[in-house]
Amino acid sequence: MIEVQDLSRRFVQGRGRKARTVQAVDGVSFTAANGRITGLLGPNGAGKTTTLRMVAALLKPDAGRITVDGLDVAAQPQQALARMGVLSDARGLYTRLTARENILYFARLHGVPKEQAEARVETLADMLEMRPLLQRRTEGFSQGERMKTSLARALIHDPPNIILDEPTNGLDVLATRALRESLKRLRDEQGKCIIFSTHIMQEVERLCDQVVVVAHGRTVAQGTVAELSARTGLADFEETFVTLAFGGGAQPQKGVDA
Amino acid sequence: MSTAAWAHAWAVFCKELLDALRDRRTLLMVLLSSVAMGPVVLVLISTLASSFEKRAEAREVVVAGITHAPGLRNYLERQTYTVKEAPPDYEQQLKESRLQDPVLVVPADFEQTLRAGEAPVLVVVSHSANQRAQGGVGRIAGLLRGYNQEQAALRLLVRGVSPSLLQAVEVQEFDLASPATRGAQLSFMLPFFVLMAVLYGALNAALDTTAGERERGSLEPLLMNPASPLALTVGKWAAVSAVGMLIAVLSCLSFLPGQWLLRSETLSAMFRFGPSDAASFLALLLPLAGALSAALMAIAIRCKSFKEAQANATVVLLAVSMLPLVSVFNPGGEAAWHLWVPALGQITLMGRVLKGEPLAALDIGIPLLVSVAVAAVGVWFVARSLRAAAIK
Repeated sequence: MIEVQDLSRRFVQGRGRKARTVQAVDGVSFTAANGRITGLLGPNGAGKTTTLRMVAALLKPDAGRITVDGLDVAAQPQQALARMGVLSDARGLYTRLTARENILYFARLHGVPKEQAEARVETLADMLEMRPLLQRRTEGFSQGERMKTSLARALIHDPPNIILDEPTNGLDVLATRALRESLKRLRDEQGKCIIFSTHIMQEVERLCDQVVVVAHGRTVAQGTVAELSARTGLADFEETFVTLAFGGGAQPQKGVDA
Repeated sequence: MSTAAWAHAWAVFCKELLDALRDRRTLLMVLLSSVAMGPVVLVLISTLASSFEKRAEAREVVVAGITHAPGLRNYLERQTYTVKEAPPDYEQQLKESRLQDPVLVVPADFEQTLRAGEAPVLVVVSHSANQRAQGGVGRIAGLLRGYNQEQAALRLLVRGVSPSLLQAVEVQEFDLASPATRGAQLSFMLPFFVLMAVLYGALNAALDTTAGERERGSLEPLLMNPASPLALTVGKWAAVSAVGMLIAVLSCLSFLPGQWLLRSETLSAMFRFGPSDAASFLALLLPLAGALSAALMAIAIRCKSFKEAQANATVVLLAVSMLPLVSVFNPGGEAAWHLWVPALGQITLMGRVLKGEPLAALDIGIPLLVSVAVAAVGVWFVARSLRAAAIK
């Protein structure tokens, strides 16, 4: 379970007189429960990635509090990270290592014992349908192959909480479907808490039990797809989203998703 | 650091080392260019020196028109020199370095002019770009001075004057340098080559583990593991240093068999590089490899791409390659502060080892202390910058 309360973070760009502050996140709050997929939905530059980076202890929030299974991320970042599997915005792999070596490297950093890690690689390879990839060096992997390897790497320690930052970026229909099925199984069979950021409506409609709409660095609405549609009185979820995020008409967006 | 942190650092170390060793092509280039460089230079120097020696042993003088000067021929032969007639196109041959001895040109009227009491002109033709011929000029000039003196002495004797009147002072040369010090003159480049080998050995791994990691986008996922940035950095630094140290060991050891390739006997007698010298070199180089690795990583972590990091690392490369010049330009010779400068201190001390001077514990202690300090600051800086580097 992940709880985020009144998170805010600003960035200073440039130096001296030219310095400009950008309020990337300005009051994001949500609770992601176990056994549910929580969608973080927002336009480009809404502050999704920044929020998730703060959850993953990569960035320190200016204000607000994040707890992962009751652990305060600011106070115990390493203990919190041990209970999270994060698929970040950046998905670089080590191209001179095989997919298996890439995954096992992260297992060692998570302190997973060797035999357990080997067994876990097999399980994940079956779940993500990536068995043929394991012995190949990751040089020249396709987007989908890279995504699968990164996801396996993030899940190697069997974390109770899974955070995915725009996981379907660059994936084709089949790969997206496969990922969706995997996430559903993780939720239904193992009761994981899954947070999933995206700007694609269909994914949210098909997958998420709960939606957090983020715009201009703020949480503007929360609830199930049905609840949100009911709130705006619109049948089409895309219209619902635009109404919630931009207040009906398109407004100028912030340009930073740092 | 806690036990868990050491385990993390060890995991990073193993992975980075494997990664660096998998980069076969780069590794091979580094090995070829840096490790083989020293012995190759050694062989080149020795080939040059041995050809000088042969030329000196041959005791030959190349003369154009020796028939005009039978007296000179007699003198040269009495000095056990063989007189060789110069080829007709000797000027061209000297220019093209085909002829490797300077040519003594005797004018047609040599004997008559000499007998008339006038000074005939003898010309020694050489080419300053033709080093071997140039090297023989001094020898011929010395021979001619001897002939000149003999002739002058004879003239004085004829007039009843003792030749010793003309020699108010007798000059004798005595070289204080031991054979080992003379050898050091030739091998002064050696510490420099070893140092550059270490630097280039560590360079690639240092950039790959920092700027390369940023460029690949693998730094952010790496930091989302429950390992502290310090543990990650220590592991990376240890791996980079290990590569640098491996190159240091290989290049130092490569001079041991490299010696057997020395063709000149005097040179191989002068250039002494035994296992104990190799050990002294390593005592200086291994800590330096750690310091240079940390410095390169600290520079590279600020760069977004490998290419940018390469451009920035040039500062370190340039600084290290300029350092030997400090002792050349500094008229005071070795100064005490040289030992406190990383790389310069090591070069100075390696020079002393080659000269056959023993190293005091304090001499090794100062560069060791500096290296440890540089490494610590570098690692600390990288660890501190890691999170910020991941998200930009």
